[in-house]
Amino acid sequence: MGDNIGKVLDREGFKYNFTASASGTSAQDGVIKEQDRLLPIANVGRIMKQILPPNAKISKEAKETMQESVSEFISFVTGEASDKCHKEKRKTVNGDDICWALATLGFDDYSEPLKRYLYKYREMEGERANQNKGSNGYENNIANI
Amino acid sequence: MFTKQMISSEIPMLMSKACEIFIQELTFRAWMHAEKNNKSIVQPCDVAKVIMQTDTMNFLTEIIPNNLGDFSVFDAKEENIANIAEENEVSLSFTAGFMGNPMMKMDSEENAGNIVEGNQATLPYTSGFMGNPMNMMNMDNVRMK
Repeated sequence: MGDNIGKVLDREGFKYNFTASASGTSAQDGVIKEQDRLLPIANVGRIMKQILPPNAKISKEAKETMQESVSEFISFVTGEASDKCHKEKRKTVNGDDICWALATLGFDDYSEPLKRYLYKYREMEGERANQNKGSNGYENNIANI
Repeated sequence: MFTKQMISSEIPMLMSKACEIFIQELTFRAWMHAEKNNKSIVQPCDVAKVIMQTDTMNFLTEIIPNNLGDFSVFDAKEENIANIAEENEVSLSFTAGFMGNPMMKMDSEENAGNIVEGNQATLPYTSGFMGNPMNMMNMDNVRMK
């Protein structure tokens, strides 16, 4: 992990800059800082601890390996979903594409629960949209009066 | 030629949940591997070994550090530990009835109990869990904020 410091890894058209630099979220000249490329280590560590018994310990290096793995997982899945959209000449990747990609890549165990999760999310979003419409209509009526 | 693509608003929510499941599965498998070798700390070599052994995780082989890529020495140590464990009749205190597959579908706690009795092991920590991260994430009871 530490060997990567100072190197620039050029992969799939992106330049990953591993040098420790000042904070800032904008990627200038196509260079992505390491803190922007990886998920926060504290969050990853917390999720890892949730599944393990209290007596289990996780080394810092294992957390860093997991950070790398998750970033790769995101690229892997979204890349597959993106390819599907590209072939079907669609410009927007949606949740169904992600579920399809997960199933295609062998993560069938993830796909089904996430489909249910997505369905519930869409239900909630629909309800929220209806509530907003209702409140806007009410405000418009008051304005007209 | 690469065309710009957009993502729908549901993608971050869905991918964050997928990442959470992925982290927990990989962590749990790594921990099982660590405990099999009588270790209480999950280390990168455990994660790497899981990546090498699991078909769906093969896309991560690139990120395994070079010094962990060759498992010849590691395997020899592992065999020695396994032999010592057999001689001393060491029992796993946490999840001996787990059978080594985090995504294994368990019908009920009764079945889990039968497996445990078959292995003549006790599970002092989480007898109901039996190693399926999907049980922790019951999609039917998901409450969106």
